Amino acid sequence: MTKRTNADDVLLDCRNIVKSYNGPMVLLGVDFSMKRGEIHALVGENGAGKSTLIKIITGVEPRNSGTIAFDGKEITHDHSKNAAQDLSIAVIYQELSLIHGMTVAQNIFLTKEPKVPGLPLIDIKKMNEKAQALIDKYRFPLKATDYIEKLSIGQRQTVEILKALSGNASLMIMDEPTSSLTATEAALLFEIILKLKADGISVLYISHRMEEVYRLSDRVTVLRDGKKVAVLEKEQIHPAEIIRLMIGRNLSANELGHSMVKKETEPVLEVEGLESEGEFSGITFTLRKGEILGFGGLVGSGRTEVVRAIYGIDRLDGGTIRFLGKPYKPSVKNAIAGGFGFIPEERRLQGIMAPITILGNIGLTNLDTLSRFGFLGGKRELVMAMDGIKLLNIKPAHPDIPVGNLSGGNQQKVVLAKWLIRNLKLLIIDEPTVGIDIGAKDEIYENIERLAREGVSVILVSSDLPELTRLADRIIVLRKGRIVKEFTEGVVTEEMVLRASSGLEEGGAK
Amino acid sequence: MNTKKLMEDFRLPLVLVLLMAALTLISPRFLTVANLSNVLWSICVIGILASGAIYAPITGGIDLSIGVLAALTGIIVDIFMNRMGINWMLSIVFTIAIGAGIGLFNGFVLTRFKVPAFIVTMAAKTYLYGVAMVVSNGGMLAILGPPEFMAIGNGKTFGLPNPIFIMLAFIVGSHILLRYTVFGRQAIAVGANETAAKLSGVDPRKVRLIVFTISGSTAAVAGIVLSSLTQQTFAGAASGIELEVMTAIVVGGTKMRGGKGSVVGALIGAVMVALIINGLNLLNIPAPFHPIVTGIVILVALLLNQGGSPMKFSKNIGAKAKARGQA
Repeated sequence: MTKRTNADDVLLDCRNIVKSYNGPMVLLGVDFSMKRGEIHALVGENGAGKSTLIKIITGVEPRNSGTIAFDGKEITHDHSKNAAQDLSIAVIYQELSLIHGMTVAQNIFLTKEPKVPGLPLIDIKKMNEKAQALIDKYRFPLKATDYIEKLSIGQRQTVEILKALSGNASLMIMDEPTSSLTATEAALLFEIILKLKADGISVLYISHRMEEVYRLSDRVTVLRDGKKVAVLEKEQIHPAEIIRLMIGRNLSANELGHSMVKKETEPVLEVEGLESEGEFSGITFTLRKGEILGFGGLVGSGRTEVVRAIYGIDRLDGGTIRFLGKPYKPSVKNAIAGGFGFIPEERRLQGIMAPITILGNIGLTNLDTLSRFGFLGGKRELVMAMDGIKLLNIKPAHPDIPVGNLSGGNQQKVVLAKWLIRNLKLLIIDEPTVGIDIGAKDEIYENIERLAREGVSVILVSSDLPELTRLADRIIVLRKGRIVKEFTEGVVTEEMVLRASSGLEEGGAK
Repeated sequence: MNTKKLMEDFRLPLVLVLLMAALTLISPRFLTVANLSNVLWSICVIGILASGAIYAPITGGIDLSIGVLAALTGIIVDIFMNRMGINWMLSIVFTIAIGAGIGLFNGFVLTRFKVPAFIVTMAAKTYLYGVAMVVSNGGMLAILGPPEFMAIGNGKTFGLPNPIFIMLAFIVGSHILLRYTVFGRQAIAVGANETAAKLSGVDPRKVRLIVFTISGSTAAVAGIVLSSLTQQTFAGAASGIELEVMTAIVVGGTKMRGGKGSVVGALIGAVMVALIINGLNLLNIPAPFHPIVTGIVILVALLLNQGGSPMKFSKNIGAKAKARGQA
């Protein structure tokens, strides 16, 4: 890697970029520039044009007008994806693009495998050595011969980064890199990003998490509705200011309201000694009517496994559950009949049915009330879909659009809508706002709070600490499959939850 | 949005109309009741099979056993009537029950052991062929049924052959089943995202059992119609027809990956293929050339028809941009 330290050296210079997709304008003359060895955050709500700008920079999409200079050279109008690779721009994708069933080394050197001299055969030994050298250089806890499926999400991301490094990237674009990472993994990623910077590599960083942007960035460019609203220098970067610029309106979020609230309403769900071998044990808690119970803890602490078992997806090895005072046998069928709703962790894999319309997605959980003797009538279903669209403010408000075509925030609203139009008694939500813009996030929070006020009990699993502390009336923290801490009263800070999650203060408090 | 959706919905019928217009211009013998009725008659077995076999691809699977199952059930109905002397109506009921049972068994194997439908039904195709060989003693059977039974395949109503009405009834029934019932909706959901469907309260196992039971039952109906129609049968009577059925289904806009399907589309798909063969016959083009032409036309139809794939990148973005425009 060539080391250049001239801070004002401009690596990428985009001017007056205009882009429209058959009609609607997505980018209306955006200027954007990056310096060498700079960490530059690109922020904006979903739909502000961030992804489009990146696609234009990488050449995945052609631009309508405007100029791009990379490394001092003008880039042509329709530079292809390959050209982007030649230009040493690498994208670390939001949905990881590694191939399972292959090793770390095989993934890193995919399509550029070192060959046995004179033969069209891959030199496996050399490939593994080269990969390991790269891993060691950045001191990643990895082995070149590890298989991808055995790695954690965080480790996989480091493989993505290595893959980019092996191609001698001088600009690395990271789109929501921490969205599925635990706090510790994210901290490791930040270290890596700083190392990259020290090596003279520029990092274009896209995130909805203001504290990361605040912590990492040298500069921030804010986009809103396809326009550049501001470029902030290091000393001008303040989360509140960025949010104000991004949305141009005030959020209802009360950033300091982290007091726990003790509910004295009747118990809805009484869980005692739940156990699943190798996953969790001794899980005991009572959820009351209208209460939002937060499940904190790191990814892999057993939070998701507990709620999945309660909803009846995974089998339990022990323990009892009482629902509304009566013994309850978990199964998805019983859960739905009893008034449970379940918003799964992975929206695309478990939540939405992408090729199906909004109407079809919302209708699926409500076929029982929509059908007569197994037959569906058109009108009632349409009315229900429109109700759901209105309730969650889904955009566009058109029931016939396949959900796969919506933005992430609106997809998640569809997943919520299909449950919220039912008469719920208990809603289980796992990571409700991963990769969602702030506006949609806030609307989802308001809906969860409204539900609780209306008497629905909520179990909220979240790695997003501001989210957890804001919404929850009470927080249970899991660690290694056990409840290690319960916050029932008083003010709880993000730090307190994080300390409990990471095992800094096990046991003790009630 | 609406114009785009209209285009998607009517692309296939439009191609059909254009094809018919072209054939009308090419041959004066094309646009006659006799010729068109002939075309429909030629696809009645494919149409009946497609009406039931379409649910497998909709749920992301495939049923390769329907052709052999049709031949086997065609033999079985004859055995019931002739060797066992059972009343023709009861024979039909029993035969359909056997078809349903075999379909259910396929469904059971693939859900219980989590094996791809492709493998399970391919195996079924092989052993069912063996069973058909055994029960037919490996030879040609003459179908000897009462006049009522023979009328199924050979009678006419309102001047049109009965099998056409049977096929249309199955197409309409299947269309209603797919579009307007809980089962249809659940089948599409399982094909689109099985996990999401499961979390929404759908039992994918149950859905698949029903899917393959339907497939087996309609294969039996097709077998009965085929036997009545041809008045003779053998173990290889309908061999390979499952591929023609799949062609019709896929040309008709059903996604092999699952999550999307159209029964009416499958009928149009079958009609289109038949029309092309019909046109080639009217033009006196020798039979050996027919597969070349139909193959190319199927490919073109697929390219046109599967263009609206939701997976297509730029389209996705376009819709998102549009969403923004309306927001």
